[in-house]
Amino acid sequence: MTEASKKVGGTKKVVIDVLLFILVAVLFVAFMIPFLMTILNSFKVKMDILRNPLSLAPSKGFSLSNYVEAAKKMNYFTAFFNSFIVTGFSTFFVTILSAMCAYYYVRHDNKFSKICSSLMSASMIIPFQAIMIPLVYIYGAKLGLLNHRSTLIFMHTGFAMSMSVFIFQGFIKSNVPLALEEAAKIDGCGRYRTFFQIVFPLLGPTTATLIILNVLAFWNDYLLPSLVLGVKAIKTLPLSTYEFYGTFSADYGLIMAALILTVLPILVIYLVLQKAIISGVVAGAVK
Amino acid sequence: MKKSTVSDIKAGAMFALPGLLVFFLVVIIPFVYGFYLTFTDWNGVSQLKSFVGFRNYADTFRDTEFWSSMWLTLRYVVISVFLVNIVAFFLAYLLSNGIRGQNFFRAGFFTPNLIGGVVLGFIWKFIFSNVFTAVGKSLGAEWLSKSMLSAPKSAYFALILVTVWQLAGYMMLIYIAGFTGLSHDVLEAASIDGATGWRRMRSIILPLMVPSFVICIFLTLSRTFMVYDLNLTLTKGGPYASTRLVAMHVYEKAFTSRNYGVGQAEALFLFLVVALISGVQVWMGRKKEVSA
Amino acid sequence: MKRSITVISVVLMALLMFTGCSKGSTESASTTATAASVSKVSITLLNSKGEIQTGLEKIAAQFEKDKGIHVEVIACGAGEVPYTKVTTMYNSGNAPTLAILDPTDIVGLTKEYALELTGEAWTAETDSLNLVIDGKIYSFPFCVEGRGIIYNKAAIEATLGREFDPRTINSYSSFKAILAELRSKGMENPVFIAKEDWSLGAHQLGFIYDAYDGTTAGSEVIINELKAGKDPLTIDRFNQFVDTMDLMLEYNFAKADPLGADYDQGALELACGNVAFWPNGCWAWPNLVEGGADADGEFGFISFVLGDDTSDFANNSIQASASKQIMIDRVQASAEQQAAAKEFINYLVYDATGQKMFVEETALIPAAKNNPNAPLDPLGQDIAERTAEGRLYTSCFIAPSDHWSVMGAAMQKYIAGMSSKKELASTLSQYWKAQN
Repeated sequence: MTEASKKVGGTKKVVIDVLLFILVAVLFVAFMIPFLMTILNSFKVKMDILRNPLSLAPSKGFSLSNYVEAAKKMNYFTAFFNSFIVTGFSTFFVTILSAMCAYYYVRHDNKFSKICSSLMSASMIIPFQAIMIPLVYIYGAKLGLLNHRSTLIFMHTGFAMSMSVFIFQGFIKSNVPLALEEAAKIDGCGRYRTFFQIVFPLLGPTTATLIILNVLAFWNDYLLPSLVLGVKAIKTLPLSTYEFYGTFSADYGLIMAALILTVLPILVIYLVLQKAIISGVVAGAVK
Repeated sequence: MKKSTVSDIKAGAMFALPGLLVFFLVVIIPFVYGFYLTFTDWNGVSQLKSFVGFRNYADTFRDTEFWSSMWLTLRYVVISVFLVNIVAFFLAYLLSNGIRGQNFFRAGFFTPNLIGGVVLGFIWKFIFSNVFTAVGKSLGAEWLSKSMLSAPKSAYFALILVTVWQLAGYMMLIYIAGFTGLSHDVLEAASIDGATGWRRMRSIILPLMVPSFVICIFLTLSRTFMVYDLNLTLTKGGPYASTRLVAMHVYEKAFTSRNYGVGQAEALFLFLVVALISGVQVWMGRKKEVSA
Repeated sequence: MKRSITVISVVLMALLMFTGCSKGSTESASTTATAASVSKVSITLLNSKGEIQTGLEKIAAQFEKDKGIHVEVIACGAGEVPYTKVTTMYNSGNAPTLAILDPTDIVGLTKEYALELTGEAWTAETDSLNLVIDGKIYSFPFCVEGRGIIYNKAAIEATLGREFDPRTINSYSSFKAILAELRSKGMENPVFIAKEDWSLGAHQLGFIYDAYDGTTAGSEVIINELKAGKDPLTIDRFNQFVDTMDLMLEYNFAKADPLGADYDQGALELACGNVAFWPNGCWAWPNLVEGGADADGEFGFISFVLGDDTSDFANNSIQASASKQIMIDRVQASAEQQAAAKEFINYLVYDATGQKMFVEETALIPAAKNNPNAPLDPLGQDIAERTAEGRLYTSCFIAPSDHWSVMGAAMQKYIAGMSSKKELASTLSQYWKAQN
């Protein structure tokens, strides 16, 4: 770690550091229990999972068959591709549009932005169930736009706007000095150029954070895609795992294997972005 | 507040309009249509609906189960918001301090968010009713051999536990972003001035973190008030309907009891309650922010 | 300046894509349900039975090969209530051409949306299982499911050390006697009661309606009496039901934690022979196999005994009815699609391949009696045998859609020992009185 970040908390006592480390490590293990159990049991057959989920020596042994079967039944590669497209585009649009919108709200403190901004904040607490039926009615029965990936991207963007704007707004207000923009203005930069060259880079860590949050929300979303995408060929990953839940009983091994298969790609994205957050910190410190 | 000028309008068209357009089309218009539906006797599927005025709202006030689930949810929200934010802030603070393996831990505590609602409930149900009981049986511990989900109090606690488990990592991320946004100059200046430990936390760090608190508390409030997937897949409202939170009640009213108008009216009412509570919270937070 | 131009164009593109997405995206999703191609009819089938999804898709593929009609099988996912799914589909203008639903849901949709099927030839093959609404038939009985108390013969015989004849369990007393005998010979708690609300509320408690006289009309009689305010405590079937329930609770394997005992565990314990009896239905077979049951193991049903009259039909037969029905959409589907949907049903009933695939791929028991393929599993075979011998009753009570959830909760409370018989009776009474 860099010198600078080491100093945030302050205390230099080694004993306290070690104790804190142990505390964090213990908490960490507790947090990981569900994952460890999921990974362990994803290699077992259902009977062994139910008989003794802790067992390290199941009667039928460990095997990869859950993974193979899950990947096959889920249509993994098609579903992965669909999830990728939907998540990628939605995240891109929502990040750009919400940053611009938040920027406007902060820099143009007029009635219009006050109203729109409160409307957006309020909309975050609309229960999704309350707009579900009207949404499919308008976009399905009236406009006939369901069963297209782009409709889903459009809706994801709309639903995610509020929270992204909300978070960007707070950080632009406190972390982006007006002076920089004014200097750019004097230098003759246009509005978009000022925004994308000066303001947007300053939002680095926040952007990375928001990308993670939005990617996760889109990648895992079940309800909205289930309303929009009815056709097998364009189904996303969460939609493809439904079959493993029967009416009366669920296929534990398959669900766990499918979960790991769904989570892995996104874990990679997270680890990559985490680096961006950290380098964002460094960049912030240098400025 | 300034009056809008030509430049404001131009900038608005350039920056705010595209996003706002999408937002209005996807969220506001369906919401308004949904609002209209609360004044009809529509059953959710029929082609006919007639105007019934405020009858659905009157039914909302008479629906005792709605109020008891609302009360249950309120307690759940208060406990969860407290626990989530304490744990998250604490984790973020520790993990912004250059502790060994910091990045690894950050990733680790965040991983619960990699799982979506339905699967999350399923996995935890498995943990509560199969894994914990197996541990209990092998240890011979009576209290642990019973599933936490089989008694009302412990099932309620299980709901809170999973909520904290999932949301803490999410809020931690926002707090970490807040910590990294703190100017090091301020902190360094403070430590030169001799502010250490608790005093530094209270008088310098906490006030500077107010924006993060406002965001996190707001997000936890809205998330916990709306919780549905987890409720459905973890406890299914049980045992014997003792953990049915308000979002689930609304959903069941609209679809299981096929009383769409009343369900929709209750959803709107819920919206108003949450809007009021979080509005007050944000307003108070922002006021602190200004004075800090 | 160059940069800002790119930015503007990106934003414009985004807008274009969004506002014009109806046109822009048709090529990216050419397989949509609405885009029926010129030569081929395309229909959709909503499936509310998750476990037969793969089997149905195979049947649909074969059907397309044989008849040139494309059937897209739409599943109702985890945590989704089938009725909600069908509701949203109707609202979105993408109503399924065919929908596999519970009878209750069919009743809710019939008036406005279901195509009348009274004149179809297959109605003769499914006679007593047809769901008749105001004298007309609007749905095809898709499969038969029976419920009672499943036994594991091998486990019983191993414990008792003598032969076990399931037909001898035909009264409350005989059931009580065998439970006591099992306990005395070392099987301490021979019954498993699953905690699921659908199981307790709809399947177990449902016997008080279904066993009224074994017909759906009879179940309506008792339901109307309850609606009119009759005290359940004065109803014979209710008292008999609670007695049997109490008996099973006395011998409940999961006594220590009755509400921790789930369906999956039940399948496992019965399959391994840790318990001898499990009140459930024929759909449990795949789960018994997962639990380690042998395909030619001896499993079957005894009646959910009610009272001590050994000549009572309820004690000699089990309930079996068409638990899933298929309706055809009348409003949003074209005449061509409706014809195709009827053809799909005929394929299942009359086509040799369809008949065979139905039994083999879904492992369900067909409602149409002309299907020559025998069920593959012991529970299905038991039901087939009982059909031949007339030891079934086909009542299928119709209750409001929240009945299983409300009464399921009341039953959970009862089996957990948190409420009394009186309280259960009063919840039941309140529930029905509120339906007036």
